Amino acid sequence: MTTQKPEIIDESGDKYKYGFVTDIAADSAPKGLNEDIIRLISQKKGEPEWLLDFRLKAYEFWQTMKEPTWAKLSYDKINYQDLSYYSAPKQKAKPKSLAEVDPELLQTYEKLGIPLKEQEALAGVVAVDAVFDSVSVATTYRQKLAEQGIIFCSISEAVKEHPDLVKQYLGSVVPYTDNFFACLNSAVFTDGSFVYIPKGVRCPMELSTYFRINAKNTGQFERTLIVADDESYVSYLEGCTAPQRDENQLHAAIVEIVVNKNAEVKYSTVQNWYPGDKDGKGGVYNFVTKRAACRGENSKVSWTQVETGSAVTWKYPSCVLQGDNSSGEFYSVAITNNHQQADTGTKMIHIGKNTTSKIISKGISAGFSNQTYRGLVRVAPNADNARNYSQCDSLLIGTHCGSHTVPYVENRNKTAKLEHEATTSKISDEQLFYCEQRGIGEEEAVSLIVNGFCKEVMQHLPMEFAIEAAKLINISLEGSVG
Amino acid sequence: MTKTPLLEIEDLHAKVADKEIIKGFNLTINEGEVHAIMGPNGAGKSTLSNVICGKPGYEITSGSIRFKGKDLTKMSAEDRAREGIFLCMQYPVEIPGVAVTTFLKHSINAVRKYHNLPELDTMEFVKMVREEGKKLGIDNEMLKRPVNVGFSGGEKKRLETLQMSILKPAFAIFDEADSGLDVDALKVVAEGMNGLRDGKRSMLIITHYQRLLQYVVPDFVHVYADGHIVKSGDKTLAAEIEKDGYAAYTREK
Amino acid sequence: MGGLVQKVKLFGEYIPWLQAMRDKGALTFDDLGLPTPKTEAWKYTKLRDLNTDDLVIEPSNFLAEMRVTAEEACGCHHEDEGCGCHHHGEGCCCGHHHEEGECHCHEEGHVCECQQKLHVPFDAYVIHFEKGKMIPPFPDFPRGVEVMNLMEAVITEDAKEYLGKVADIKLHPFAALNNAYMEEGIYLCVHKNVKVDKPIVLINHTKSGEENIFFNIRNLLVLEQGAEAEFVEWYNYTGAVKSRYFANVVNEIVLGKNAKLSHYKLQDEAFKANHIALSVVKQKADSNYHNFCLQRGANIGRNEVKVLLTDENASAEVDAAYIMSGWATLDTTTDILHLSPRTFSSQLVKGVVGGEAKGVFQGKIHIAKDAVQTEGNQLHRALLLSDTAEIDVKPELEIFADDVKCSHGAASGELDENQLFYMQSRGIGREEAKQILIDAYLEEALDKVKNPEIRAWLSDYAHAPQE
Repeated sequence: MTTQKPEIIDESGDKYKYGFVTDIAADSAPKGLNEDIIRLISQKKGEPEWLLDFRLKAYEFWQTMKEPTWAKLSYDKINYQDLSYYSAPKQKAKPKSLAEVDPELLQTYEKLGIPLKEQEALAGVVAVDAVFDSVSVATTYRQKLAEQGIIFCSISEAVKEHPDLVKQYLGSVVPYTDNFFACLNSAVFTDGSFVYIPKGVRCPMELSTYFRINAKNTGQFERTLIVADDESYVSYLEGCTAPQRDENQLHAAIVEIVVNKNAEVKYSTVQNWYPGDKDGKGGVYNFVTKRAACRGENSKVSWTQVETGSAVTWKYPSCVLQGDNSSGEFYSVAITNNHQQADTGTKMIHIGKNTTSKIISKGISAGFSNQTYRGLVRVAPNADNARNYSQCDSLLIGTHCGSHTVPYVENRNKTAKLEHEATTSKISDEQLFYCEQRGIGEEEAVSLIVNGFCKEVMQHLPMEFAIEAAKLINISLEGSVG
Repeated sequence: MTKTPLLEIEDLHAKVADKEIIKGFNLTINEGEVHAIMGPNGAGKSTLSNVICGKPGYEITSGSIRFKGKDLTKMSAEDRAREGIFLCMQYPVEIPGVAVTTFLKHSINAVRKYHNLPELDTMEFVKMVREEGKKLGIDNEMLKRPVNVGFSGGEKKRLETLQMSILKPAFAIFDEADSGLDVDALKVVAEGMNGLRDGKRSMLIITHYQRLLQYVVPDFVHVYADGHIVKSGDKTLAAEIEKDGYAAYTREK
Repeated sequence: MGGLVQKVKLFGEYIPWLQAMRDKGALTFDDLGLPTPKTEAWKYTKLRDLNTDDLVIEPSNFLAEMRVTAEEACGCHHEDEGCGCHHHGEGCCCGHHHEEGECHCHEEGHVCECQQKLHVPFDAYVIHFEKGKMIPPFPDFPRGVEVMNLMEAVITEDAKEYLGKVADIKLHPFAALNNAYMEEGIYLCVHKNVKVDKPIVLINHTKSGEENIFFNIRNLLVLEQGAEAEFVEWYNYTGAVKSRYFANVVNEIVLGKNAKLSHYKLQDEAFKANHIALSVVKQKADSNYHNFCLQRGANIGRNEVKVLLTDENASAEVDAAYIMSGWATLDTTTDILHLSPRTFSSQLVKGVVGGEAKGVFQGKIHIAKDAVQTEGNQLHRALLLSDTAEIDVKPELEIFADDVKCSHGAASGELDENQLFYMQSRGIGREEAKQILIDAYLEEALDKVKNPEIRAWLSDYAHAPQE
């Protein structure tokens, strides 16, 4: 049984983390970032030399970099020396029962229809490993996956058990030099997931079910690596529809996806980190680098995201379409309310011949929030017959929010056909009156119209996820009308 | 037989953007009655229906509107609808992405909830919508399409009629229900309207032409000009107007 | 010594407010420097080919100009026999150069090139510039239309209210530079409710020689309440096409309540020359501004139009077309600021890019908070003709009000093979078929030009085959 030990809980890194905390707490955990800290992280995780080297190189490079300022975001300057770089820096006293938990939070769980057991775990009443019956379920899943040669484990575990695979692919899609936040992540990443789908295998299930709870507390610097070998398929779900009261202010994650010949990866995210309060106090800064390399012919990747959380979002899931006939898709719903800010979009880099990409982005701004769609479509000189279709629609609710669209289109091939469309509008009084005339109240009418507005994207989410995401949209917009 | 008044409008004055459109309008509609209001273009006929239904942007400066004895003017648009007022619109708006069935479900459940009735079970609901749809020539494919998006004029009117037959309002207003319809579509709509005449339900048909009134015969006909009723009569008045036009009524001032 | 920053003697250095503006321009330019690829507003238009080192600024002849009369202006010929060019003192630009001022090029039905370049084929008030310097005299304008050399308007203080106050130089390094050299250009004022009967055309003709000259033109156009006018800018050249002269133009435009201006431009500079222009327009209530710019020349050509719809019900249409080949970079940049409720804008830009050229379109629609019931639409389409052509597009919406309707669209592609084949199958040669399709492609944008004569004139240039 002990060989089965590293179940899901370990995969998300909690075990290491908690181990850490006890260790470090005694030494009074030092804040700040320096080589020693990086060595410490690496040592605690029992990492091989090459990975430590990777981290150190990244750190060295990071010191030469400047935090980007081009996004339409404004936030207090982050003091990188004032953060703890191994996870779970603060262990607050846990609430003893749901009665002690913020009723507002519980109300939200209620609305989302989350089972009581999960509510307890999410609110931190019970330790995750204690509560979750599905650990065994997860283990069963894992066995089933292993039978087909699918590897699904924490990246720390993968480093130990599948070092060649990790070494081959880590940083191959997002090099540590890529950008300021990716570089920081490369130096200090704590944990995350590793997925490998071998040749010809269709992953029989959404790699998701566990994630509602187990993805919690993976730390500020998550690192995910997904490799889909030839002719394989996987659908991966990240995130959690329930709001998480995460104390970590800064999140800088990386997701790297490698898609080989004839393979397909679907990656779905529902992001609902703590957005801060009504006055814009608190909330997570979310700086994420997500990129998929479609390396093989006919490879395909599809990003679907529903972004409702975080105080600040900086995120551009991208597709590098290297293989001939490869395709990339980006479906996004972003909702900002109160004082949230989001600068999000995608990049579609067409390199191979006959590559296609599609971008559907739906942005909803309410309250005092500001939202920007920022996208790039680039067609390289040899990318004959590249095709892109982009559609970015924005909806504004209220008179204090902002909605911006900044697409960049760079075409160096005459045979490329690129189309971009964007619209901005509000929910019309006519639409509202029509709903009201049929007895539907204003708030319900708004949510109905907003869900209709997002439909094109929502239908790309796996069914179960889509229903919760739809509820989440309503919750995110609460109080934005009237 | 004593008549129970359903809608009572007394000396109503209303304005849009500082312009008085309704000027001293009086009308009582009893249970089971079908009234028609005819008037020239620009007389403010649509304003009247919007004011009754509580569309924002209209200001009642004086007078009263009572429905089942309740003061309507204090109610929100959705509560008026839930009380049983249905406006069959001349130009129903498009709502992209929202399927007809989804919309109908939200609508009927909101109304049921208001009357403390349980929400309809999905199967039950779908069955009902399909049955009612069939009567109006609305197939399942159309029910899946987003509300009014890309609908032809006839399809829009049929959808309005479908909603009415599902919500079964106590009082329905038809705002130029015949505009843009060919004879066949007009008959379908008229059938839907006649199907709802049960001696209790009341209707107000607002129209420019007499055409629709040949299929849905009103109990009373009123001529509306310059913000109020200038003449009332029975169905023969409609024929008269068809013959002589509105000129005789718009000259005053 | 060459370069963009040179010490030159300019007219009116003793006028404090003028000089202060120039000094501020110089300081601001010094501060901003030339845009780099990291400058967002210049992301796609690389200035490494600008080659400013050997640029020469010709000394001011402003005072001399003021004195010159029509007869003295042209040494080479006279109206009834000559080519009509106004090249005083240097003879005719057609190459048949005669010190004595006698041009023989009109024998044998020869049409002097400069005649074409100076002849406006429609009835208009024509103002001539050469190498950025005004050539008197002005035509006779009707009552209520005041046209002066900019410096004259500085002396009379007519220009004082708006000059330098419409264009924000902190955002535009080349406008700052233009401030620093502020001297040449016109001041045009159309008085209240006056409708100018004919288009006013400003021709800047560069007869390029060996030297790579650098010149600045600054125009200030004021249309008072209810005034209406058409203003045409035409930049062209004769002579050595290899001259790398640099034209830096700034237009400041103020439209009063209910005023209406149609502003057309043909940029047909020498293919090694650089042309950077900025027009900033401030619009009062109910005013309408239409801008159409056709770019077809220059190495780097940038036409930037910034419109401030400051009051209700102001509307602007900013349309453009570009056609290019060789190594050129042609940049069309727009920035429409909706600052009040119920303001309207629309944009249509179409381009055809061949050779190793690069087309750039950056278009921004900004809608300020409270600028409700506003509509802003924008469409850019480009056609790529060669494997080495490039097109970079950045349409941008920046919206802070909820009750608005905004859209933008961008598309690029190549000529439709099916259409080409169809025409070939009807006996039309492939090249001709291509030309027909290109013409049709640009036609949509040219159709936006309301004045039929001006549209026909621009069409001739849009359809001229590229080398």
